[in-house]
This record gives sequence, structure tokens and C-alpha cells, in this order.
Amino acid sequence: MTQAPVLKVENLQTRFKSVQRGKYVHAVDDVSIELYPGEIVGLVGESGCGKSTLGRTIVGLEKATSGRVLLDGVDLTTLSGAALRDSRRALQYVFQDPYSSLNDRQTVGEAIDEALVIAGTRSPEERDRRTKELLDQVGLASAVRDRHTRELSGGQRQRVAIARSLAVNPRVLICDEPVSALDLSIRAQVMNLFLRLQKDLGVACLFIAHDLALVRQAASRVYVMYLGKIVEHGSSRELYDHPSHPYSQMLLASAPEVDPRIEKNRRGPLMIGEVPSPTNPPSGCRFRTRCPLAVDDCAKAMPPSRVLSPEHTAACTFAADLHRGKRSALLQQEVSAA
Amino acid sequence: MHDQPLLDVSNLTVNLLTAKSAVCPVDGVSYSVRQGECLAIVGESGSGKTVMNFAPLGLMPTGVTTMLSGSVKLEGRELIGLPETEIQKLRGKSVGFIFQDPMSALNPVRRIGRQIAEMAELHLNLTPRAAEARALELVKLVGISDPAARLRQYPHELSGGLRQRIVIAIALAGEPKLLIADEPTTALDVTVQAQILRLLKDVQRRLNMAMVLITHDMGVVAGAADNIVVMYAARAAECGPVDKVLVSPRHPYTRGLINAIPRREDPIGSEFRGLPGIPPTLGAPIRGCALAPRCELAVPACGNSRPPLVRSDDSAVLVACPVVNQGKAAA
Repeated sequence: MTQAPVLKVENLQTRFKSVQRGKYVHAVDDVSIELYPGEIVGLVGESGCGKSTLGRTIVGLEKATSGRVLLDGVDLTTLSGAALRDSRRALQYVFQDPYSSLNDRQTVGEAIDEALVIAGTRSPEERDRRTKELLDQVGLASAVRDRHTRELSGGQRQRVAIARSLAVNPRVLICDEPVSALDLSIRAQVMNLFLRLQKDLGVACLFIAHDLALVRQAASRVYVMYLGKIVEHGSSRELYDHPSHPYSQMLLASAPEVDPRIEKNRRGPLMIGEVPSPTNPPSGCRFRTRCPLAVDDCAKAMPPSRVLSPEHTAACTFAADLHRGKRSALLQQEVSAA
Repeated sequence: MHDQPLLDVSNLTVNLLTAKSAVCPVDGVSYSVRQGECLAIVGESGSGKTVMNFAPLGLMPTGVTTMLSGSVKLEGRELIGLPETEIQKLRGKSVGFIFQDPMSALNPVRRIGRQIAEMAELHLNLTPRAAEARALELVKLVGISDPAARLRQYPHELSGGLRQRIVIAIALAGEPKLLIADEPTTALDVTVQAQILRLLKDVQRRLNMAMVLITHDMGVVAGAADNIVVMYAARAAECGPVDKVLVSPRHPYTRGLINAIPRREDPIGSEFRGLPGIPPTLGAPIRGCALAPRCELAVPACGNSRPPLVRSDDSAVLVACPVVNQGKAAA
């Protein structure tokens, strides 16, 4: 990729004060990611891994403890007031739950108009024209404009929320589980909307989700996050075909199969336990407490990111072996279980 | 006795009346579960899958008048028309419940051990001491490490997966014959979901219980259930053995749902498959097939009358679609 990234996050850290005095919750710990214009990038991990906090820190809903968030080369963490507001317009957030992100008392037209006013569109005629255009872009009929948002279905509400975030012509959308509150039969419609927005408007999306299959199909690249750190990054094809971090391997293996002939015969291993507390993360590699491959050295230092191919890195001592298929977290666990 | 289903629901209709509105979330649904079997009930939100299982057992919000018709038989005993005091004796005793969100299902200010023991005292007439011993047994049964220490903890000290294990232990405390699990893994991570599903399947087999698994997630069904009922807009669209319905779905809605799940072989960046349109709202009466406006097979006749569930070319599978069932007599 020769283009400059539209969004670059460098060594970002977000921590919260813990209820235990003097301790901190390291929600996001030294994370660097990049987003290029017009691409959809996935960010996956279990709940509590810090993926939402990362998204919220990028748009400024949480304050970064250290590190930089560069939007078109401008560091947002150093700006404040009007300068921050202006720069941040290019960066918008789509929330998970369209039932709580919209005002029930507004009509669809009012909700979108409000976003346009805040975006600084003064002329009412211009706002009227843009509202029509936005409704069209998100695939809502113009008749919906005078209905209250509370009258709409979940899928329609999420479209309104997306129209609102598009009102300012953003270059980057941070989408936090945008379809997980929607019914299965509706999900595809909203996912296709994201694909179309990316193609037609060239908006870059950071797609935060726990549904791995959904991310695989939509995203060109994927970051896997565990306990505040990025443990693996790669193109979707590389990462799903050759997962090279034990955590990614086990995460992928946990996804259930729909076909009972496969699912019932699967004696596969299960992920052991749950994510440890980010207040007291394990020393060294954070996954070592659940990792079937862990050796003594894993407790000493966080393994550095290993480059496996130009578009694939994994932070595991055994990444190269795992990548070549010489070793497998899944196999190892079966051996120790037997 | 073995041939008689433990739970036999036939032609169940639920009407809910509130001060302002009347809705019919369940409209003439029949199904049955035998001892040792697991039935999955799959549907989207508002399809009636939860109401159908909770209303006959009196678990409805206050301020709603519930009107039931049809028949719900548990071990041959008719539940519809039973007084509330009798139903109350069944809840937690013959029928155990597992709810979606373990945090709101547990009492935040009482210790885990007490919450489990309470059930054993109430339903098995155990002394407090014996009940505590039973609680310890149950916590071991649901695979929790360091069980004695866990019993002294409060729900907020546990992770989501552990909490759900506690909820399962509570559901098992009364030695139920039927376990109703309402979206037991929806609030959990995919990694923990697999653990909890395996646990549920395991205890169900070991205790030889019947289980009703209510879910919107087709992925959960395959590993756990023997039979499946697919619900759409208050009615059953298709039912039959999981091996058959998931492998070769016949009803256009079931087909659409399974088809909508992304597959490994789908190219990256390709369009997502799904059903067009949106599900109908609950209040509006539907004359014909509720799926007709979203259905690719729909013909004008679909709007005329409600399609009955009819035995398909495979006698174990019933399908409510006149186009799929063309030329077959009603079962």
C-alpha cells in the first residue's frame, strides 16, 4: 500500500483507575493500528479485551493515557476545543445498540437534520437536500422521514444512526458491533450497506466485532486483540487460513458449525477458562495462562511481534512454527487432554 | 411410559392483553419433548419463542393479562387452567430455568452457596445443612474449580461464564425433569459459549432430563439439539430432527436463515446473503403466510389462508409452506 494511512494509532494506552487503590485497569496497552482510505478492517476479541475502549479512545470518548491518534497526520490527542472538533469531524462512531443511540422523540428527519446542524450546514435548503441524499445512501425510503425513530425496526434504526454519522462526510467510521443487536435475517442487509458505503464513498471502517465469520467476509485485514494488546494482525485470507497465534487458533476453533454432521462429530478442544482481569494481567505473554503451548519463558517477557509475511504478524514465540503448521495450539491441547 | 413425551404442547395459543394493546405472540403451535431429548426452538426476536415457553408456567411480566388456549401437558398433567399455587410448585422443581443474562438472574447481595441451597431446601425439603452439601455437589457438577471457595463468593466476583454455571447449578438444584434454557449463551463470548453448551449437553445426558433450548442462533443448535422448531411471526414454520432440518431445510424462512450465515468459502468482500424486508410487527393480524412479503417462492395464493404444517416428503419433517408442500394433504 503506497497510500498514506488515513488513521494511524501509535502506542496507544488507555487505563482506568481501579477500585483497588493505587491499581489501574490496563484496558488498552501499547496498541498500534493503521487504517487506509476506503478499507474495512476488523478488530476482534473476547469481551473485556479492550476492543471497544480502543474504538472509544480513538474518537475521544475516552481519554488516552499515552500514545498518539493521527487522523490525516494530525495528532488528535494534543488538540482541544474548536480545533479538535474540526479535525474530529472526519471520524465518526456507530454504536452497537440503535435502540439507545437515537432519541425516541425525534422523527427520522429531525435526527438527521440535527447531525447536519452540528456539522455546520447553515442553509435549511441545503440540509433538506442532504437529508434526502443521506436517506437514499443508507437505503431508507423518503416516507420514513416523518416517522418517529421509535416506530422503526432495529435494522431501520441502525440505518438512521449510520445516516447521522455520514452527515459530516467522514473519512473514517468506527463501528462498534453495529449488527450484533440486529436479527439474523436483517444483519446481511446492514452489512451490505457498509460494503456499499465503502465502495461508493470510500469511507474507511474499523469494524469492531466478536463474530469472526462476519468479519472475515467484510474485512480486508483483521487485528486480533487480547487483554489490551494486539496479538495478531494479517490480511483476512492469511489470518483465517493460517492463524499463527494460539489465541487466534482457539478463537477460530470455538465458532460453532451449523451443520450437525460436522458439529456432532467435533471432539475439538475448548478454550480453557476466561480472560484474566486486566487489573493484574499475567506477566510476559498475556495469553500464557490459557495457552496450551506456554513454556516457562512465556512468563518472562511479552514476546515481540514476529513478521510472518509482508502482511502478517503475530506476537508469539512459536508464531513461525504455527504459521507453517508445524505446531498447533489445538493439537497440543488434545494431546495433553488425552 | 417411555413413549409418552415428557412435555406435550398442542395447538398452544397465547394472547396478551395490556391496558393499551392486544397481541398474539403464539398462534397455534404444537411440539413435544421426550425424556433425555433436547428440542431447540429457533426464531428472531418477537417470534414468540420465549413467551411460548414461559407463559404456560406463569412467568409473565405484571400488568399483562395472559390468555392461554390449547394444551400443555407435563408428564401427562395439563398445565393450562392449573391454579397459580400449583404452577408455583412446578417452577424450579419439575421445571428448571436458565435465563439469558446470568447477572440479572442472580441475587447480587447474597452468597452463591445460599442461592443454590435455597432451591434445594425449598424443593427437596432438605435441612439447611444438607442443602449446603447439595450446593457443593452441584457446583462440582457444573465444573467449577475450587467449589468450596466459590460458594462463599458473591455474583459480582465471578466472570460471566462462571455466573452462568451457577445459574445452571440453581436450575438443577430441584432435580428437574425438564430444563428450559432461554438463550443461555447469548450474553457470553464465543469461547465461553462453547464451554457452556458442552456443559448443558453433558448434564442433560447425565441426568437424563428433557431440555428446551430457546435461541436465535442457528450455530448453537447443531451441537446440542435433537429436534428443532423454527418459529416465524408466532407460528411454527418448520419442525423436525436437527440432522434433517439443518442439512436440507425446506421452508423458505429456514433456508434463508441458514443461507444468511457467512461461510468459509464466501469470497472476502462479497455481498452478504440474507432475507429481504423486515419481520411483521406483532400487533397486526396476518391472514395468509406471514413470510409471503419476504419470500422468493411466494405466489398470490400465499396471502389467502394460513398455511398448515404438513408432513413433507420426509415423514419426520413438517413444513408450513403451500408452495413447498404442493400437492400434499394436511397432516
